[in-house]
Amino acid sequence: MLTLLPQLVVSGTSTGMLYALIALSMTVVYRATTVVNFGHGDMVAAGAYAVFVFSLGFGLPFLIAMLLAIAVLFVAGFATQHFLLQPIVAGPHLSLAMMALAVGYTLRGMLRLEWGNETMNPSRPYPQDVYMFGTVVVTTDDVVICGFVLVLLAALFVLLQVTPLGKVIQATFQSQRGAALVGINVPLFHALMWGGGAALGALGGVMLSMITPLTPDLGQWTLVQGFAAMTLGGFGSLGGAVAGGILLGITEKLLGFYVNTVFIEITGYLVPIIVLMLRPQGLFGRRMTVRV
Amino acid sequence: MADGTLLQLRDVTVRFGGLIAVDSVSFNLHAGEICALIGPNGAGKTTLFNSISGNVIADSGSILFRGEEIRHLTPHEISARGARRTFQNGGLFPELTALENILVGLHAQIDSSFLGLLFGGKSVAAELAATQQARELLDLMGIGAMANQKAGALSGGQQRMVEIVRALATNPPLLLLDEPAVGLAPLGRQQLATVIHMLARERGIGILLIEHAIELVMSVADRVIVLNDGRKVADASPEEVRADRTVLEAYLGHA
Amino acid sequence: MDRRLFWLVPLALLPVPLWLNPYQQYVLNTALVYIPVGIGFNLVVGNLGLLAFSNVAYFGLGAYTSGVLMAQLGMPWWMTIIPAASVGGLAGSIASIPALRGVRLFYLAIMTLAFGELMRWTYIRWEALTGGSMGMAVPTADLLGWPLDSDRRKFYVFLALVVLTLTLTDRLMRSRFGRAFLAIKDNEISAAAMGVATDRYIVLAFAWGGAVVGIGGAMFAISVGHLSPVSFDLTELIRQFAIIMVGGLGSLIGAIIGAAIITVAPQVFISFPGFDELVFGILIVLVILFLPRGLSSLLARVHPAFTDRFYRG
Repeated sequence: MLTLLPQLVVSGTSTGMLYALIALSMTVVYRATTVVNFGHGDMVAAGAYAVFVFSLGFGLPFLIAMLLAIAVLFVAGFATQHFLLQPIVAGPHLSLAMMALAVGYTLRGMLRLEWGNETMNPSRPYPQDVYMFGTVVVTTDDVVICGFVLVLLAALFVLLQVTPLGKVIQATFQSQRGAALVGINVPLFHALMWGGGAALGALGGVMLSMITPLTPDLGQWTLVQGFAAMTLGGFGSLGGAVAGGILLGITEKLLGFYVNTVFIEITGYLVPIIVLMLRPQGLFGRRMTVRV
Repeated sequence: MADGTLLQLRDVTVRFGGLIAVDSVSFNLHAGEICALIGPNGAGKTTLFNSISGNVIADSGSILFRGEEIRHLTPHEISARGARRTFQNGGLFPELTALENILVGLHAQIDSSFLGLLFGGKSVAAELAATQQARELLDLMGIGAMANQKAGALSGGQQRMVEIVRALATNPPLLLLDEPAVGLAPLGRQQLATVIHMLARERGIGILLIEHAIELVMSVADRVIVLNDGRKVADASPEEVRADRTVLEAYLGHA
Repeated sequence: MDRRLFWLVPLALLPVPLWLNPYQQYVLNTALVYIPVGIGFNLVVGNLGLLAFSNVAYFGLGAYTSGVLMAQLGMPWWMTIIPAASVGGLAGSIASIPALRGVRLFYLAIMTLAFGELMRWTYIRWEALTGGSMGMAVPTADLLGWPLDSDRRKFYVFLALVVLTLTLTDRLMRSRFGRAFLAIKDNEISAAAMGVATDRYIVLAFAWGGAVVGIGGAMFAISVGHLSPVSFDLTELIRQFAIIMVGGLGSLIGAIIGAAIITVAPQVFISFPGFDELVFGILIVLVILFLPRGLSSLLARVHPAFTDRFYRG
């Protein structure tokens, strides 16, 4: 029984890296504007479809297609925040949540309009292969995803901790009023972070397009998994988002094998419910609760 | 309580982590008495106030309301027992009309049940009576014309009036007013003083208020309690407190 | 204008089926089905003001309760209405638990969303009961022996149920209960200071909302005649959001307007894949930007009788 444990952990980590990327992209948006983007899953899906359109549809090289997809989603995220959310930023939270959700649905409608309910097969720009490490099977998918996400995380880390721009971003995350006082254009920052979050999400979509069949409903699943990962890692924590994603991936695999295969599907639903019931502030995060 | 003591605080202490916000404060308040709670910023007035109304739970000491220990009770339990409070800013329900706000004030006294409302009868009568009562209260205070306006659309002075009427709706023996004069012009403050005076003298309501407006305090209070750094440093008539050196030092020390 | 004149509306609708073809009748029935759905959703999100996105769960549970009781136990439809409402109410009460623990805003939204999806997964998985992804057929309905084998007959029963749920909810809202919900929404702390036992009212709002939506579910079951999990996915959620946003958050009249528009609109325009998501998504965006209080607020500006009141007398 336990002999399969390393395999489960490895493939769980690989899936978890994907979740980590999605959760990270959602957290960037949340940290910057304290709004949870309920349409994020659909932006990720849109990214996946975008790379398809640019590579298979326009025949562009994969790398160019990927960059274009990221650019398109950056613009989408920026525009959503700037034109649709900024005007209502002082309004009730319900409106903000609904606006984000509605944008997501509009995206999904466009995807469904173009591609109906057909499924698109994944398309890899690299040859599929398997490697054996003892009893553990590692696929090229695992390597590519883990490698890519790790490189991305390293780059983001350097950006945030080392570069002046990164310092500005961190400072604004911590105190918007302070940032405004030193002359930072906070609304612009918000829009840029939504763009950045969407772009990161698009990267997640690109990865998804390589390993999973695509349907317009992909956004639904992505959103749930993203929430679950964020909940595990504590809302608002960038590092937590990554940890939460990996933890989610591994937990799914372990529960799915050792307890029941249903857990592969429903862990994502159960995590937010169970974790937030026990600890309303998430495992490591801040409270979004009220005391009467 | 037989001697008319409404509120009795004994050694009430409130801590937030390592910080002592209220340090062993004791005092009594009697029916018909107007007592002002003053002190520099951060003295613990609001925390003490909140511990009486239940929004904060005091760590030790005793808070007796009409002889009953209320330290551990929740805000709505304390309110139901007859100790009602107003809030410094935005205690009203902005989306409800002035009339509906007063009706919420009457909430605990309206004898309507869930099933009774669905299937008619006594509960409906109770609701009709409550509406009538709320209208009368508004008329009595001279703001009957505002009954159907959303509370959020009223002026500051009008909102203050509605909030006080709302707190009074159940004829509470004890009224806790949290900086009632904030944002009021001198005329409004005069009217406020008159109302407070009338409530205590004519209706025998015990009133505890937090206030920064010294002239209002001096003109209306029977007694003034001064807090500094969480401790009570004075508990006397307004004239005596005005002459008290320690009080002056407390304010200067925090200037 | 007296609010009692609103009773004329259902009376005026009584002869309408005579002029409708079966398709139009079906559309009208669907609009009626969605009125209780809007009422229940509005109660929690609009009046109580909590971000509970689990409405589709109550809808699906109500529908499946009704369908399963009919198919598996041979119960006549009219007997399944109360169980459907009860299951909806129970689910609502369960969904209120995180709110009682103080969970709010986006956390609550996420949890309730997950709850809704978990329910849909249950419909798919519990094949023995629900027929799984393939769905289940709903037996013919009847009302105390009178077979509801035409949409016209269903119309009259639906109309009665809609009037019932509207009236009961209106009575609930125009009382200290309704005011308690609104007070909690506007200022929870102040509400408690006024003697409102907030926990009790939160559960009540969730339970009543769930029960009413459950009734809508029971109506849905016999209106469509076939239940499958895909009817209760997140696309259904945007439809229900559109109803309360377009109609007017927290407004009973808004639920009626919203249900009518959301049901009729797809029929007026040529449908295409993704129509619901695209059109309702854009509609919600526009409403939030330009008419945040929905169409009922426009009506209220025209005549005060359309304003929702929360007292009697």
